[in-house]
Amino acid sequence: MSIKVITPGLSTSVQDLGRPGYYHLGIPLSGGMDRYALRVSNLLVGNDEGAAVLEAAFMGPELLFNKDAIVAVTGAGMLPKVDGEAKSTWASFVIKAGQTLSFDFLTSGARAYIAVSGGIDVPIILGSRSTYTLGALGGFEGRGLAAQDELPINECDISKHTEKSIDESLRNLPQKPGELRFIPGIYWHRITEKSQATFINDTWKVAPEADRIGYRFKGGEALDFVDREQAFGAGSDPSNIVDSCYPYGSIQVPSGSEPIVLHRDAVSGGGYFMVGVVISADMDLIGQLQPNKPSTFVPVTMEEALIARRERKEKLSKVRDFLS
Amino acid sequence: MKVVSVSENTVVVLFEQKISQQVAAQVLKLKQLIDAELADYVIDIVPSYASIHLSFNLRKINHQGFVDKLETITDIVLNAAEDDTHDGQQKLIEIPVYYGEEVGLDLHEMTESTGLSIEQIIQMHHQKTYRVFALGFSPGFAFLGSVDQPIAVPRKETPRLSVPKGSLGIAGEQTAIYPFDSPGGWNIIGRTPMNLVDYNQHPPCEFEVGDSIKFNPISKQAYLDLGGEF
Repeated sequence: MSIKVITPGLSTSVQDLGRPGYYHLGIPLSGGMDRYALRVSNLLVGNDEGAAVLEAAFMGPELLFNKDAIVAVTGAGMLPKVDGEAKSTWASFVIKAGQTLSFDFLTSGARAYIAVSGGIDVPIILGSRSTYTLGALGGFEGRGLAAQDELPINECDISKHTEKSIDESLRNLPQKPGELRFIPGIYWHRITEKSQATFINDTWKVAPEADRIGYRFKGGEALDFVDREQAFGAGSDPSNIVDSCYPYGSIQVPSGSEPIVLHRDAVSGGGYFMVGVVISADMDLIGQLQPNKPSTFVPVTMEEALIARRERKEKLSKVRDFLS
Repeated sequence: MKVVSVSENTVVVLFEQKISQQVAAQVLKLKQLIDAELADYVIDIVPSYASIHLSFNLRKINHQGFVDKLETITDIVLNAAEDDTHDGQQKLIEIPVYYGEEVGLDLHEMTESTGLSIEQIIQMHHQKTYRVFALGFSPGFAFLGSVDQPIAVPRKETPRLSVPKGSLGIAGEQTAIYPFDSPGGWNIIGRTPMNLVDYNQHPPCEFEVGDSIKFNPISKQAYLDLGGEF
């Protein structure tokens, strides 16, 4: 079976859990920015958690189905509609052959995950179906969706499916304002104590440059650097380091002015220092931040980060238990 | 050399923070030891000029457990005699390059900043064998060093919005080929007709940190015969 794209939305691409293992070649992780929502959308339609889904940023696509299927939409508050009839998010529903799936305007969050029973059947390249647009890799022809695309869907038996919905306590919704927990990093000592304090106490706002590569934040005080000796081979700006790899979730602050959190499609390395790394549980949350959303950076220890990771894992097992 | 935890499943090994052959050899030595000893746990290992980035599988080992194992290995490298950190069996990769003015977009400008003729610049660039210090920025982009001082011109003040695929550039002491059309600020001196990245191959790109790279100048006709485009 297949789905025909009538309108693609603003930025919609095929994503699964990503493409680890090729970072050393400059090929980023890719995959859904909100992995929790992606997994839950798959569980709702009876797929493997890591099946390929559509990630739609800020505006939903319009999709025509040529066969009956089960669909679930999680993540952003973007109400799905079947031939104009409203359905719920965080719930599965049936769509019949010849019907069209469309979306209402975005009311909360930023990215919706649209899972279809069977999963989207684009080729697996380097272990993943995820799209990495900058490298023209994976997904549907290495790019985001466009009108008239025909997305292949794996065949699957949906006769035994019953419509399900996820309890509100198990949905992951952005708080107000966003609190982004981070582990102060290797180069934290490179900024002054005063700047360490303002970085944490200031309220930052998501800048318009907020995409799969990274999220830029504005509005906080620029960071001051402590004096240093310029390393041989490093750039002359105080925020430069000897070129190195950027961990997923790194917060880099070029010239000390605007922090950028590197996300799933970020370049693998470069010459800017990083104040720290956002913990994995909150990287999902970043994928749901809209431009202008006020956010703060909250320092945590490694111990706290590992606990947060465990909590998210437990939440996911509750979803699995609930749906099985 | 120290092991720094950066996130739940990621650690970075920091070496002396400078670009040098000696540090690069230590990085490579440690990378090879990690490949041999810790492959079961490692998801991504990314060596760079003076650091190694490692992400590992938390389902197989806990954070502290991985750090402990890694520190045991870094001690081995740290205690190795300096002449023990020589390079192992790294590959030599030869890449044909057409150094013509149609594709060497900045050759002319470089004659002004260096005081050398185009022939001298080309000669100086291709006579040397380079080392892969790091990979990244975009898929298959290999940072090679070190370019001889007289032609080690700094990045362009205004980057190009699109550098053609295959372009060979210089930025300071680094030289590299752009595997895809992409924005970039390096000084372009030639172009290879070869495809450096193929996602359907395993591995998708031949370069590894520590490899040696030699650029072989080819004629315009050979460039065209190999599928080169203008």
